[in-house]
Amino acid sequence: MQTQQTGITQRRPAAVVREQGATKVERQPQNTVLVWPNLLAIEFLAAALITLGLIILSWVIGAPLEEHANPDITPNPSKAPWYFLNLQELLLHMHPSLAGVIVPGVAILMLMAVPYVDHVVGDTGRWFASENGPRIAGISAVYATVWLVALIIFDEYVGTRRVLESIGIPEVIISIVVPVAVMIGLSWLLVILIRPMQPNAREILIALFTGFVAVYVVLTIIGTAFRGPGMHLFWPWAMPPRH
Amino acid sequence: MAAEAAGPHRDCAVGLFSIAPHLEEMIVIGSVNEQWERLTRTQLWRSLFRQGWPDTPRNRTLAVMGNVFLHLHPVRLPRAALRVTYTFCLGGISFLLFLSLTVTGVLLMFYYIPSVTRAYNDIRDLETVVSFGYFLRNMHRWAAHGMVITVFLHMMRVFYTGAYKPPREFNWVVGVLLLTLTFLLSFTGYLLPWDQLSFWAVTVGTNMAGYAPLIGPEIRFLLLGGFEVGQNALLRFYTLHVIGLPLLVAVFLAVHFWRVRKDGGISISGPL
Ligand code: HEM
Repeated sequence: MQTQQTGITQRRPAAVVREQGATKVERQPQNTVLVWPNLLAIEFLAAALITLGLIILSWVIGAPLEEHANPDITPNPSKAPWYFLNLQELLLHMHPSLAGVIVPGVAILMLMAVPYVDHVVGDTGRWFASENGPRIAGISAVYATVWLVALIIFDEYVGTRRVLESIGIPEVIISIVVPVAVMIGLSWLLVILIRPMQPNAREILIALFTGFVAVYVVLTIIGTAFRGPGMHLFWPWAMPPRH
Repeated sequence: MAAEAAGPHRDCAVGLFSIAPHLEEMIVIGSVNEQWERLTRTQLWRSLFRQGWPDTPRNRTLAVMGNVFLHLHPVRLPRAALRVTYTFCLGGISFLLFLSLTVTGVLLMFYYIPSVTRAYNDIRDLETVVSFGYFLRNMHRWAAHGMVITVFLHMMRVFYTGAYKPPREFNWVVGVLLLTLTFLLSFTGYLLPWDQLSFWAVTVGTNMAGYAPLIGPEIRFLLLGGFEVGQNALLRFYTLHVIGLPLLVAVFLAVHFWRVRKDGGISISGPL
């Protein structure tokens, strides 16, 4: 009677055990410490410092508030919030569909793809991958900044559009083909440039990601501090008032 | 008798002196320890805390395991995972700012009506009439800017340490979604003061969305609830800002934190 019952219960699944555990641990943690108080003390200190900083900041600097919204008075320049000024800056140089939607959309998709392009484990947790990593990041940051500033100055004072229109190049090429070619071409050139260092997938991504961050930051700074009326370039200290 | 004649003040003093011997007794006989023991044996205390003061490994373990918030953490972790120069606490700081934004945001909601005729004056009142109103608004504003920055920096830290590698690929993708949601939260909040700055920034921003190929104008119409930034746009941005997007962020944060644990805790750089 009893053995029979055991036989039945044995066939009933008591638990589902996966071949791979739900928790994936790469290595057995050596040298562990208790979360209380070791981690919690760090978290408490960080939280206290940030909170204090935020309180002081809010005490000293006031948030801006201008006149009541008025659809009939368009300020010149009208600017998006600072974290979108990079896109607004792109708007000056290419087709609005590219600048406003396609470029940011592709950027988000490419960011999401990062772990599927570089999935070799072994150097997880190592800052900048290798000894070459910091050098590649440095080269990429300088490369992207110099090209970007040069292109913006060229477009402002010479004008890609003016030059190309004067020799009868059609609109699609001016506002879509040329900007896309510049963006892809310069990324490709960067990868060629670091090739002598024999980069692996992660190091190539470091070059491209650093270029992306540099472009994002520099575009934001230019859009915030260097664009004035008519979205023309001005020095921040010689900025004409908004009107 | 003499005390009675001397009036209420004297009465009081006499009263005090008459308990004093008992006080002394309590201090001498019942040590602080004993009082503590007595307190921690009460039903009220035991209903709140299930373990003793966390000064032993056992109680510290129980403290983390038995608390819903602390339970986000494991009980133990590798010493290397404590290194501040690895995470720079950026994920945690982003979360702290999100929580501060929730608290200050709820308080701001007490004073704000999303109407084109009221909104601007409500913000004005916060600045000038409401006690600490300007402080509340500043905190919300600066924490919002701060969160955009710390989330971006957190992404950079995860990238440059290669912490996105298997098994953490999916958590990186969740992270990119959180970054996008953080931008959208900040952007929808930008319109609410209904001043020239916010009105035109959102006009510029939604025009950009309108350039999407094929369905741009439809997207813009959907966002604004009309052809231009007006009452419908204010209501839509407000609703997304105070409930829609925060709920989405909370759900993705739950997935994000759960995944950090399921991926074996944060990635660490070799033995220390
Ligand atoms: C609202 C925004 C976010 C919050 C509150 C948040 C919070 C956190 C926290 C608290 C951790 C634990 C370790 C640490 O602090 O570094 C973490 C880890 C992680 N986060 Fe985020 N995060 C956010 C956005 C992002 C973004 C934008 C990405 C990447 C695109 C990302 C990817 C990751 C990954 C891959 C880990 C695991 C890192 C490791 O194991 O070393 N997160 N996040």
